[in-house]
Amino acid sequence: MAPLQVFYRLFLRPLRRNLLRTTLTLLSVSLGVAVILAIELAGDAAAGSFQASVETLAGKADFEVTSITGVPAEALGRLATLPYDLNLQARLEGTALVEPSLRAVPLVGVDMVAGALQRSGQQLKPGADGAWIGIDLARDLHLNAGGRLGIVVNDRRAEYPIQGVLGEGSADAVVMDLGPMSRLLDRADRLDRILVGVPNNQPQRDWERTLRAALPPGVTVAPAGARTGENRKMLGAFRWNLRVLSYIALVVGAFLIYNSISVSVVRRRTEIGVLRALGATRGGVLLAFLGESVCLGLAGSLGGVLLGRLLAAGAVGMVASTVNSLYVSSRPGAIALTPLTTLFALALGVGVSILSSLAPAWEASRVAPVEAMARGRVEHQARLHTRRHLCFAVLLGAAAYWAALQDPVAGKPLFGYLAAVLTLGASALAIPALVAGLAALSGLYLEHLLGVEALLASRSLAGSLRRTSVLTGALSTAVAMMVAVAIMVGSFRQTVVVWMEDRLQADVYVRSAGGSGGDRFPALSADTPERLARLPEAAAVDAYRAYAIHYHGLPATLGANDVRLSARYMRRPYLGGENPAEVAHELRSGESVIVSEPFANKHHTRKGDWLQLTLGEHQPRFRVAAIYADYSSERGSIGMDRATLLRYLPDPAPTSAAVYLKPGVTPEQGKRAVEQALAGRMIRVFTNGALRVEAIKIFDRTFAITYALEAVAVFVAVLGVAGALIALVIDRRREFGLLRFLGASTGQVRRLILFEAGLLGLLGNAAGFALGYVLSLLLIFVINRQSFGWTIQFHWPVGVLMGALTAIYAATLLASIQPARIATGLNPIEVVHED
Amino acid sequence: MAILEFTNVSKDYITEGQSVPALHEVTLNVEAGQFVALVGRSGCGKSTLLNLAGAMDFPTSGQVRVGGAVTSTLDDAGLTRLRRTKVGFIFQSFQLLNTLSVVENVELPLLLAGVGGAAEKALECLRLAGMEGYARRMPYQLSGGQMQRVGIARALVHEPVVLLADEPTGNLDTVTGDGILELLRGIAAGGGTAVVMATHSLEAAALTDRTVRLRDGRIAADSGH
Repeated sequence: MAPLQVFYRLFLRPLRRNLLRTTLTLLSVSLGVAVILAIELAGDAAAGSFQASVETLAGKADFEVTSITGVPAEALGRLATLPYDLNLQARLEGTALVEPSLRAVPLVGVDMVAGALQRSGQQLKPGADGAWIGIDLARDLHLNAGGRLGIVVNDRRAEYPIQGVLGEGSADAVVMDLGPMSRLLDRADRLDRILVGVPNNQPQRDWERTLRAALPPGVTVAPAGARTGENRKMLGAFRWNLRVLSYIALVVGAFLIYNSISVSVVRRRTEIGVLRALGATRGGVLLAFLGESVCLGLAGSLGGVLLGRLLAAGAVGMVASTVNSLYVSSRPGAIALTPLTTLFALALGVGVSILSSLAPAWEASRVAPVEAMARGRVEHQARLHTRRHLCFAVLLGAAAYWAALQDPVAGKPLFGYLAAVLTLGASALAIPALVAGLAALSGLYLEHLLGVEALLASRSLAGSLRRTSVLTGALSTAVAMMVAVAIMVGSFRQTVVVWMEDRLQADVYVRSAGGSGGDRFPALSADTPERLARLPEAAAVDAYRAYAIHYHGLPATLGANDVRLSARYMRRPYLGGENPAEVAHELRSGESVIVSEPFANKHHTRKGDWLQLTLGEHQPRFRVAAIYADYSSERGSIGMDRATLLRYLPDPAPTSAAVYLKPGVTPEQGKRAVEQALAGRMIRVFTNGALRVEAIKIFDRTFAITYALEAVAVFVAVLGVAGALIALVIDRRREFGLLRFLGASTGQVRRLILFEAGLLGLLGNAAGFALGYVLSLLLIFVINRQSFGWTIQFHWPVGVLMGALTAIYAATLLASIQPARIATGLNPIEVVHED
Repeated sequence: MAILEFTNVSKDYITEGQSVPALHEVTLNVEAGQFVALVGRSGCGKSTLLNLAGAMDFPTSGQVRVGGAVTSTLDDAGLTRLRRTKVGFIFQSFQLLNTLSVVENVELPLLLAGVGGAAEKALECLRLAGMEGYARRMPYQLSGGQMQRVGIARALVHEPVVLLADEPTGNLDTVTGDGILELLRGIAAGGGTAVVMATHSLEAAALTDRTVRLRDGRIAADSGH
């Protein structure tokens, strides 16, 4: 009990006295933990929603039967005639945009005769030409049974009477009977899925064999939920990278905890000496400082859990938007903060706090009773280690370079991350030398340029080398990550812009208004290309058809267009340097395909490899003719000639159409002509320029979460600077008082603090910029390459960087306002005479 | 002519709502070239008197005149100007800035005042204090006596009319302390500057021209009268 009392009096009570500084430290831990938790929860919610309402409505199913262009209706008949007690649920699936907001919702067609909705307890009239709507949709759009539901599906608009509102768990689905839905989708005799429930009288593997034997060729049987597993696997790299980014704020927070405990140790050196003289053991002192950090970590983490839950609500929309754009249709599920997740967050916050306070706590335990030494000597020792730290920095830098050259481990860029961590470590170790060097250099000129306040500020920072280094380290880490991500995203953006210039050669593009996404390709009416080709303004029309497929257990996209046209307009060679005309010729043979870079990376595919695809009832093999750059989706795509595709999947309806205009026709004139030719259809027509703008908008939305994460890290760092400046003012109050005795005005004291903040900001920005550049190379050429397989051309996003660095610098200066106020409010007589 | 004039000066401090008198009706004149010792027990008002003399604080009543300027009529900027031109401070614990070299510490008052030629004047004062060979050293490389000499050089660098020393030998051994007192005595003997020194030491007071004894905020004895 007694040691706890001493701990409370000497360590916890002072935290309350330094309320502002304690609050800032707690806030930095809270934000660090909150961001990690928010990303974890949001990622779970966004990725966990594949088995959304439509799945839960189905009830228990053991297997799902699917096919690339839809399961022939005869498959249902074959299964129904098997001599087993099977529960069969035929499904049509799509996406509808609900009027008036055009919100994209799952559209599900079920066989109501078979009672597929029994589980939801709804009494639905089979064959009724109406729709049942999910409870969330009814609530959000104020829709009721008896009302009308306007929806856009593919390029058509339809309106149905609302037959009823489904029960809990139905979310925002729109459910229709198979008959009217097949008419709406123009998909007679084809189903999207058949869900099969089997008795428990034999192993699942045997059932799978039995079912497969009964089905026609080209139809696949997989355990129910396998798709969810595949989607999760596909999202693995995305979530992994997002998770790593979310840890940056906590790393920055760790610097600040280190700083806080270091300040505490330096400030209490005399106190520690007295305690040791009065009988405290080294272990006791070590435990006391670690205990202080545990308390800070625990309190900060508790706040972080609450804040994280709140932030998750905002983050889930951003994560889901990226998932939808790049991967797969996903409707964010509920955010679930489980006891295990909470415990994880608390353990993380406390663990990082303990780790970051180990060094200063150890130093405190080494203080000899007689050695309650002056600050000058302590800092002198810190300076003596500078050269040794610099040597370690060089070694770590070399190790980082080695790690960057290694291959991925199990598809993950683990060595890439190691290289980034080693680079951060090297930078942290090199910073004291940088600070000392720059301070010595600046001391020569600052006084002449900016006056005595600047000289004092630079000397003070160099004098408190350890603290300055930690703060510069924290700020530079945050700045570096921001710079690295900005360069990476900026380079990616510019690469996409250049890629679009090459890829988007047509003048006008048409697609259906029905919601498209990473795995959703709503079709246009089959006669669309023909109608467009008849336009006098059109020189050529290229119809593109895409299917969501599965290749070797991973989702992918199969796309086809007229390769002669695209080769005619393609300006750059393929990634391997192949000539577009030669590749087009090979594709026209019907025996070759091209694959996208992410596909090649995921499946380790190279030019000349053979791929076997399941296309309808056939399983042809194709030679890979070339690998092409594709930044539109991370799913991975296979491209072939339209004629080849139609040979196996004879559905002429295209997903989109590209119109090449005759010379002299402006894009706007072409757009108007297309709109007139397809009047009455629910389509979206873009000119080339508008499509590029739209694509870049989606790109920016996709990376919004990345910027948000970096902003939090920078905010934590600026908080740290503010906290540290306050600590610095309190520690050096006697010095400020003395300056007043020596004739300094309040304005000069204020300027002194401002210069210190300014120099800290400058050091942090300069070191962060250099470190960020190195990290951006790792991100672009190692981590991104190994995670997603995209080739990105390096590009400096000058405007973004200038803006962000200026904002950070301004924030650092603003952080000095309160410390300056405290410094000028000190009573010089009191502070100079206190001992 | 009096460089420092206290006329019926009282100073009360408010502590937890209670008024605590520190000085009561003190009248004192110090001439240029005088070396004055303020003696008395702890809490008798020595430091308060020095702070008022140094324009660091205002009297509750009465008038303090430093180099002809009445402190209570000046605003913060005026007081700062007064300190920059007329007053020099010497502290018991030296109060040198560890991050600045010896010569930079001495230059500091001139730099804060924006006066040119600071380095030359600082070196001249260091020579006067017997520290010219230590100009480039850092304070933590000096002994206590050396630090106090640097403190004195810093207090003199802007040629103040009054030098206020608060227990300047309090942290020094006898031999070193005597050296410091000799130095202060020499400065006063130069004629242009008055030195007012608060001290507990009667031996130190014996070396001054005049001893003012304070008791409970009042002047109990003044050898100058």
